[in-house]
Amino acid sequence: MAPNHSNENGSIGSSLHGVTAREQIFCFSVEDGPSSQAIRSDDPTAKFALPVDSEHRAKVFKPLSFAKPHMRAFHLGWISFFTCFISTFAAAPLVPVIRDNLDLTKTDIGNAGVASVSGAIFSRLAMGAVCDLLGARYGTAFSLMLSAPAVFSMSFVADAGSYLAVRFMIGFCLATFVSCQYWTSVMFTGKIIGLVNGCAGGWGDMGGGVTQLLMPMVFHVIKLTGATPFTAWRFAFFIPGFLQIIMGILVLTLGQDLPDGNLSTLQKSGQVSKDKFSKVFWFAVKNYRTWILFVLYGFSMGVELTINNVISGYFYDRFNLTLHTAGIVAASFGMANFFARPFGGYASDVAARLFGMRGRLWTLWILQTVGALFCIWLGRASSLPIAILAMMLFSVGTQAACGALFGVAPFVSRRSLGLISGLTGAGGNFGSGVTQLLFFSSSRFSTAEGLSLMGVMAVVCTIPVAFIHFPQWGSMFLRPSQHEERSKEEHYYGGEWTEEEKSLGLHEGSIKFAENSRSERGRKAVLADIPTPETGSPAHV
Amino acid sequence: MAVQTFLFASLIFFSSSIESNHGATEVSLFTNLENSLEVTAKPTRVGVVVLEAGKDMVRITWMLKSSAKVNDDASFKTVEVKLCYAPISQVDRPWRKTHNELSRDRSCPHKIVSKPYDKIPQSLNWTIDRETPTGTYFVRVYGIGVNGQEVAYGQSSDAEKTTNLFSVEGISGRHTSLDIASICFSVFSFGTLLVFLVKEKRKANLQQRK
Repeated sequence: MAPNHSNENGSIGSSLHGVTAREQIFCFSVEDGPSSQAIRSDDPTAKFALPVDSEHRAKVFKPLSFAKPHMRAFHLGWISFFTCFISTFAAAPLVPVIRDNLDLTKTDIGNAGVASVSGAIFSRLAMGAVCDLLGARYGTAFSLMLSAPAVFSMSFVADAGSYLAVRFMIGFCLATFVSCQYWTSVMFTGKIIGLVNGCAGGWGDMGGGVTQLLMPMVFHVIKLTGATPFTAWRFAFFIPGFLQIIMGILVLTLGQDLPDGNLSTLQKSGQVSKDKFSKVFWFAVKNYRTWILFVLYGFSMGVELTINNVISGYFYDRFNLTLHTAGIVAASFGMANFFARPFGGYASDVAARLFGMRGRLWTLWILQTVGALFCIWLGRASSLPIAILAMMLFSVGTQAACGALFGVAPFVSRRSLGLISGLTGAGGNFGSGVTQLLFFSSSRFSTAEGLSLMGVMAVVCTIPVAFIHFPQWGSMFLRPSQHEERSKEEHYYGGEWTEEEKSLGLHEGSIKFAENSRSERGRKAVLADIPTPETGSPAHV
Repeated sequence: MAVQTFLFASLIFFSSSIESNHGATEVSLFTNLENSLEVTAKPTRVGVVVLEAGKDMVRITWMLKSSAKVNDDASFKTVEVKLCYAPISQVDRPWRKTHNELSRDRSCPHKIVSKPYDKIPQSLNWTIDRETPTGTYFVRVYGIGVNGQEVAYGQSSDAEKTTNLFSVEGISGRHTSLDIASICFSVFSFGTLLVFLVKEKRKANLQQRK
């Protein structure tokens, strides 16, 4: 592909810019925008360790690097999210001790499980707005450091009610999912965003598996120092609490909101315009695709969260495994995230390269439906080896679907990216709460029946992906619009701004994004007509 | 990826098939046991409604029933005294379920003592274990035969497990030092966040003035 700085004055090759029709032409040179100031003078893209696009988002993904700002943001984001998963599900492997200490019933435990995922419904929504308005760094730090006290307060818990309340409050920290995905979405370019989001999300979700091994180990070590079990489990919660505080400090000191700097600095110097929350909210809520993603994620991530809470107990009861072995099985479900979710994101990116956005949508539907079918099989499996096989296939399918979904989400909106990530993330927790309430909190269904029914519900609730349609790129069954105006990416993303806002040039970030998103046309992107600018004339004709 | 999944699945399969082949050739059922032991369990402190774990004592006695045949106790050499959950402590708690198959029964998880049986009435003043959970209990004594399997039993309650029960209050596990540490770290967390916020706001204001 042509070098991305070829549209600047005097740089090599700019006089022949546009001749081959293969370069990406930008209708607006940022230098001449009416209200935005020059972001760069000499080629400042050279100051980044990784090659970047016009928005300074990295074009390559190097997981072993910690280079500022892109890879550093990636690592801080996913490790923060990983820590929060450890805290939220830290109680699950210790339940056999906790239930004796607090005299809990099965209903109490089930309700606490629902509570542990419900808090995040609200906090993920709020986090979307916080990211849009204050930046991903503060969002992550707030989430980590304001919920750490809830983790420590397990030392005060004395009965079922306080246990439920504390698990509810700890669950708020799952909002780091949104800030992590938002942070990677502003740091990495659209072509690789599926893979990057998949890695960040998947490696963070692994925390739900790691905690099933970590907490019993910590508990055992504390018991060795002489504490009784009923004190040791409380003290064990200090470890996730410490981890959260440490990560919070690292995020604040080492992290950076945007490739060019921190949000508040950029806003004060006028390089990034401050947006109005009401507008951000309205455009997120008005877009029907947001709600379809809400439901879809509820039955991929939602199912995964439910399984994190019920699977070890299921294997323990149905197949008479020891608690230790049941914990290993439960952990392996969560650990499959290490490769499954990035695989889903990668598959989405490959499908986009070949078939554009339509490929991403089909990939999502296939992965999620296959995962749900294996969930039905898991509930019906009556022998242990078959159950484990079904569980592993189910985990790969569902977790890959989570990754594939976040290959689609960044394209739904540019203005309200944070809030849409937040709403989708909240949908995941909402789905988990619903499935736990319907199938796993009463004696109406056995756990096995509950698993199969949950799989059926997931298959049905994945069908709405067929209704996601982008005029410029099409949908699963419909081709892109042939209309002159509507078939342009600029029209879709520009539609989030009023004419007044456009005249003030507030929408330029969205236009740059629209140009970079041309890649979602698939192989046709190479042959795309050079778009005529919608307003104003280009600086260089 | 597929290879990893397959290897892991086969590892679990083999390790679990090893576990499940543990069972003895003959399954021991509770209904097959002779109720030939007479057991009593009384709290030593009189007039107490709820006993405290780690502090209060229970006097347990067991002997062969007067109605038993002469050689009923010839088959067992050791006795195992266990603390069992009363039905009220099993409600909505499937992990404490009673099962006729003794190897799968989870209603008597706490072992009090295991002693050789010497054909005379025996007794024990047992201090309730500190780790005993809150609940309502009775005491059951199993007569263990030479092959390690239960052959007879007796319990301090009736067959429906409704009489002669005693309640235990477990320790809370809470400690003042833990509470204080928890508060300190919470304050540290809030405080650090506040410090950073203030510092950065000042820095941004300074830059703006420039």
